[in-house]
Amino acid sequence: MDRITYLASAAVVGMLAVWNPAAFAQSAGPVKLGLSAALTGPFNEFGEGIKRGAEIAIEEWNAAGGVLGRKVELAEVLDDQLIPDRAVQNMRRILDNQDIVAIVAPGPSGPTLAVVGMVVADGRPFCNSQAQTPTIVHPDGPDKPPHPNVFSVAMSISSEAEKLGTAVSAKYNNIGIISESTSYGKLGAELIRKSVLGIKPNATVTAETYNQRAQDMTAQLVRLQRAGAEVIVFVGLGADATVLRKTMTRLEIALPLYGSSGLVNVAFMEGVGDLAVGVRATNATTFGQKPFPAKTQAFLDRYRAKFGNDRWYGADTENPLISMAPLVTGAYDCVNVLLSGIKRAGSTEPKAVVRAIEDTKDMPGLLVPSIAFSPKNHSAFSPSDLAIYEVKKRGDKLALDVIEK
Amino acid sequence: MKIRQDSIATAVGLLAVATVFAAAGWLRPGTVQLVTFVLIAIVLAQSINVLTGLAGEISLGHAGLFGIGAYVSGILARGGALDPLLAIILGAVGGGAIGLMLSYPAGRVREVYLAMMTLGFGMVFYEVIREWQDMTGGVMGLSNVPSVVLKNLSLLGVRIDGGDYLRFVVVIAAALLLILRNVSQSKLGRSMVAVQANAVAAASMGISPAGTKRLAYGISGVVAGLAGALYAHLVGYLGPDSFGLPRSIEVLVISIVGGLGSITGQVLSAIAFTVLPERLQAFAEYQFIVYGLILACTLVLMPKGIAGLLLPAPRFIRSGSKRRADIATKGAGEAAPWFLERPASSSVAVRVDNVTVRFGGLVAVDNVSLQIMPGRITGLIGPNGSGKSTLVNVISGVYRCTSGAVHFGPRLISGLSDVNIARLGLIRTFQDPRLVPSFTVRENLLLGRSRLWKHSAIAAMLGLPAATDDEGAALRAAEAVLQQTGLTDVADRPVETLPYGSMRLAELGRAIMACPDVLLLDEPAAGLSEPEVARLSEILRWLKTGGVTVLLIDHHMDFIAGLVDEVFVLDSGRIIFSGEIEQMRKDPDVVAAYLGSEELEHA
Amino acid sequence: MNFFLTLVLTGVSVGSVYALIATGLNLSFWTTRTLNFGQGSIMMLCSFGFAFMVTNRVSLPVAIGVCFVVSALIGVVVERLTVRPALKRGGGSMGWVVSTLGLGILIQGLAAKFFGSQAVAFPEILFSVRDSVRIAGVAFSLQYAVVIAITLTVILSLELFLRHSRLGHAVRAVSEDAEFARVQGIPVDLIVVSSFVASSLLAALAGLLAAQIGGTVDSSFGFDLVLLGFVAGVLGGMGSSAGALFGGIALGIITKLVGGYISTAAEHGIAFALLMLILALLPNGFFGRNEVRRA
Repeated sequence: MDRITYLASAAVVGMLAVWNPAAFAQSAGPVKLGLSAALTGPFNEFGEGIKRGAEIAIEEWNAAGGVLGRKVELAEVLDDQLIPDRAVQNMRRILDNQDIVAIVAPGPSGPTLAVVGMVVADGRPFCNSQAQTPTIVHPDGPDKPPHPNVFSVAMSISSEAEKLGTAVSAKYNNIGIISESTSYGKLGAELIRKSVLGIKPNATVTAETYNQRAQDMTAQLVRLQRAGAEVIVFVGLGADATVLRKTMTRLEIALPLYGSSGLVNVAFMEGVGDLAVGVRATNATTFGQKPFPAKTQAFLDRYRAKFGNDRWYGADTENPLISMAPLVTGAYDCVNVLLSGIKRAGSTEPKAVVRAIEDTKDMPGLLVPSIAFSPKNHSAFSPSDLAIYEVKKRGDKLALDVIEK
Repeated sequence: MKIRQDSIATAVGLLAVATVFAAAGWLRPGTVQLVTFVLIAIVLAQSINVLTGLAGEISLGHAGLFGIGAYVSGILARGGALDPLLAIILGAVGGGAIGLMLSYPAGRVREVYLAMMTLGFGMVFYEVIREWQDMTGGVMGLSNVPSVVLKNLSLLGVRIDGGDYLRFVVVIAAALLLILRNVSQSKLGRSMVAVQANAVAAASMGISPAGTKRLAYGISGVVAGLAGALYAHLVGYLGPDSFGLPRSIEVLVISIVGGLGSITGQVLSAIAFTVLPERLQAFAEYQFIVYGLILACTLVLMPKGIAGLLLPAPRFIRSGSKRRADIATKGAGEAAPWFLERPASSSVAVRVDNVTVRFGGLVAVDNVSLQIMPGRITGLIGPNGSGKSTLVNVISGVYRCTSGAVHFGPRLISGLSDVNIARLGLIRTFQDPRLVPSFTVRENLLLGRSRLWKHSAIAAMLGLPAATDDEGAALRAAEAVLQQTGLTDVADRPVETLPYGSMRLAELGRAIMACPDVLLLDEPAAGLSEPEVARLSEILRWLKTGGVTVLLIDHHMDFIAGLVDEVFVLDSGRIIFSGEIEQMRKDPDVVAAYLGSEELEHA
Repeated sequence: MNFFLTLVLTGVSVGSVYALIATGLNLSFWTTRTLNFGQGSIMMLCSFGFAFMVTNRVSLPVAIGVCFVVSALIGVVVERLTVRPALKRGGGSMGWVVSTLGLGILIQGLAAKFFGSQAVAFPEILFSVRDSVRIAGVAFSLQYAVVIAITLTVILSLELFLRHSRLGHAVRAVSEDAEFARVQGIPVDLIVVSSFVASSLLAALAGLLAAQIGGTVDSSFGFDLVLLGFVAGVLGGMGSSAGALFGGIALGIITKLVGGYISTAAEHGIAFALLMLILALLPNGFFGRNEVRRA
């Protein structure tokens, strides 16, 4: 057929492809949840972790009869690869689906910040499990009212900063901070500074930044040395911590190293080997204390039954990876928060569910051992849910031990 | 046929716009949002199309221009400080301003350095938004931009929801596409392609390569900025990660797959690349692999992209102008040859005084003085390497002479740029035909008109009557030239498909279109068949009767003998003879240097 | 601790890696006036592969050998499949810029898909982090020193090769005028392919050295380094070995000093600002010949 006809038919086909007749059935079928996360791509440890944690929680609820007599279903599971535009598109699709009654947040702060506005405008309950930026829940500051329908169990950077600040100001007067130049890093540095100066107003705090995947941190370390730092606090990911530790050793800077939860991961431990010994970091208490409480063990058994020793659990069955806590159990807690809110509200009507969630008190969780919200506070995680871990050498392996709660 | 092609495209386009307009009210919000994203992608792809497709300037950092539009608009509109409509306009202006700024350093370098520079620009932009926290929100991003997703957008006080915004965007996009099509089919677009094909040749017709590139960067910046501003008010939140290298790569992929230079191709490609990832979630996993494969192979296997496969080649003359020309000719009969209206005394002479050209240690032109008498045909001959072309390059301003002066009439022109000299009316041709290969004969001829256009760039962009009339007149002149050069039958074929002789005649025709006062012809008969040489002689005689001053460089003694009034002979950069051609044949120096053997009878 | 000296020494070391990358880019530039925009992916593939193999108990020499062989093969692919067809088609540089970039992205995507996107630890092969010598009271890590030493050796060897060997002369002939060299009987195609192979080998080497310093590798490793290598090349003058060395080291020192004395936030951006400045003011760099044709 000639080109003109071809073009016209292509246009028609194109228009049909874009138009999707909506199914607006309001049945009393399963209770549907939705999420968009980085399921594939370079960052899928975050997204896939959320999906797995959520699936375990949903399985447990369904095994116990569902909620309000209905089964629970993860109806919309969309992949955004951590790209904010994709997350916005996915969230639009999720919100378009009127059957979805509650939503789990995308994961790290980038995409979550991009979608929180539209979710707030929609009103359905939204729970954040990983994003550490506090402005997601409290856009105007911690003392001001939170977004009405946004809740969080995530290990917030403010909790970590407070914990780290308290720990280092107890022993040192001159603190050096090295953070990645993302929102996680910069905000973390700022909050640590505030925390330290709140306890010791005369302390000296110097903060430097680096770009993710930088190969060398000489300039940053030289500046901290010039300022006379007695300890270095690191806010960033393990891969970059490797570079830091190595550069410190090369420059013979033997200062104690503290860091946030991203510090001590597999890449770091394997990357620096024995140099990791003595490094301290904050992380959730979830898998720190052994033997595990019953609920934790039950979760672990269920998880292993379904997914085996995957890359979130780790190869060692007795000692699951500490990082599993923020990556997986957060989503588990989120689903529990949302579903128990629906249960107590007795319906899926958004405002009722939100009110019910706000009334949550002493709900047992994994990432947050005891989850509680209030109209003024939508973030369940607090510094007391953190422990300070230290890397120790046991035999020829490295392990993380809790040294401070 | 060409007229139908454009009209069909317009018709399909209007139909699509009308459909979107009507459907906006009852589509699901998700679909409305998707279509809006698609339209924004279309606009952004067009910005690369202008810069890379037409002007041939590669850009690996276009996300920066996109981002400037987004942030400027977002920052200005936040908190109700400025009406979003005004903010959008300023966002587009901001993009254009930065694009223009970029054209200055970018205009000085070519090819790979340009690629690196645009890459550098993109990265600097990314770093600046991340660091400048007070202005842009830094890494935490800029939130609360009045927008559709936040449901707080109003333009000029009128509340706008998703559907309304879609209508708004589709109208803007459609208007933009029409304007860009006008650009592409006007003197602006043709200049850009000409500069890309051969900058020196473009300059020889009075097209300023630097100015053309600046325009291309400016337009590209405005369009990219506009796309960014529209994006900002769609999503409501701007994070630096949306404006990094992946975005630049994505736009480049869309543009290349669409087919550089084709507006329709870009539209199709933008649709495909925005809708597919959304519909095929699995695509996301293979995205980088697919993009990489596409970039690696497309320019080599399918250089014209989708447009090359599905669509007829884009053309560069507006149908409106053609209609204007046809209408006039039908009534008026053959166009009057305007040269003949030139009074004899207005012919111009060219005087070369003691010009020396040195390249390092080599003296190419040694103290040459000659006069090209007004209204006459003067010959310049000499063996290869004697400095003829160098001399022509000096007169036309491509080279600067080491010493000496050149006058065009009473005016000193040595020291002026080749562009300015051409604009004064001194036109030259090249030894090898430097036409735009993908242009038709007609389109190439229109390039010659460059120094005579009367309408402004704005008139060209908007397709105003001033532009249509001017182009119509030019097309009528082109008809006359086509007749003169015997190329009427092949007028609408791309010159690369024509035999060599036709190409040379077309180049001559282009030079004639400029209505030159002085014409420098560098070996115009080389490679021509006998009948073509005859036609060439006819044309030259016709030019002479019109009072055009001609300098003819060639080897064909028979050809020259019949035409020139006087001749200069150059050897090793020096004039060894000047005078009548009969005298020349007997001059001992010339015989020794040049005519010695029977070589040059039919060179 | 002498801060200035520390910054300078580190700057020289990271600068050496840039110089090595710039030299690799020069090699293909000499013979074809093109650059491989996907060079970073070769660095990444080699380092990633190496780390992967060593973790799986492959012996060091074998791992290095495999890396180099694979890099060489990629060099051939780059020349044959992305550069040569693009040059044949004509139309300026856009063809090969885009196609080499595309190949780089493709390799990166494949690596991310098959190796996963997690950062992997890179083993220590040359000295350990603790080995150092003292220079003017400052600890100068031997890991840094060995990078500088290797770079100097490679670049000097290359210069000697080009100036004093027959093959080197042939390369320079091709660089001046390929058609003419062909007519002279010089195997131009072979030399062109070899220049790409050599370029890839240098990239692989640079990748190994950089990964050694950094300690981890992930699928996005290399891209940023190659950009900095470009900047170093442009700074020194595209096509000049001395320029590559000068440009790399100058860039390394400048970025470290800016980071150390002005702001660490500017450390990265200064490189690109420098690029745009040099291209605008001094397009041939400090040592380059007149390569940049004025538009």
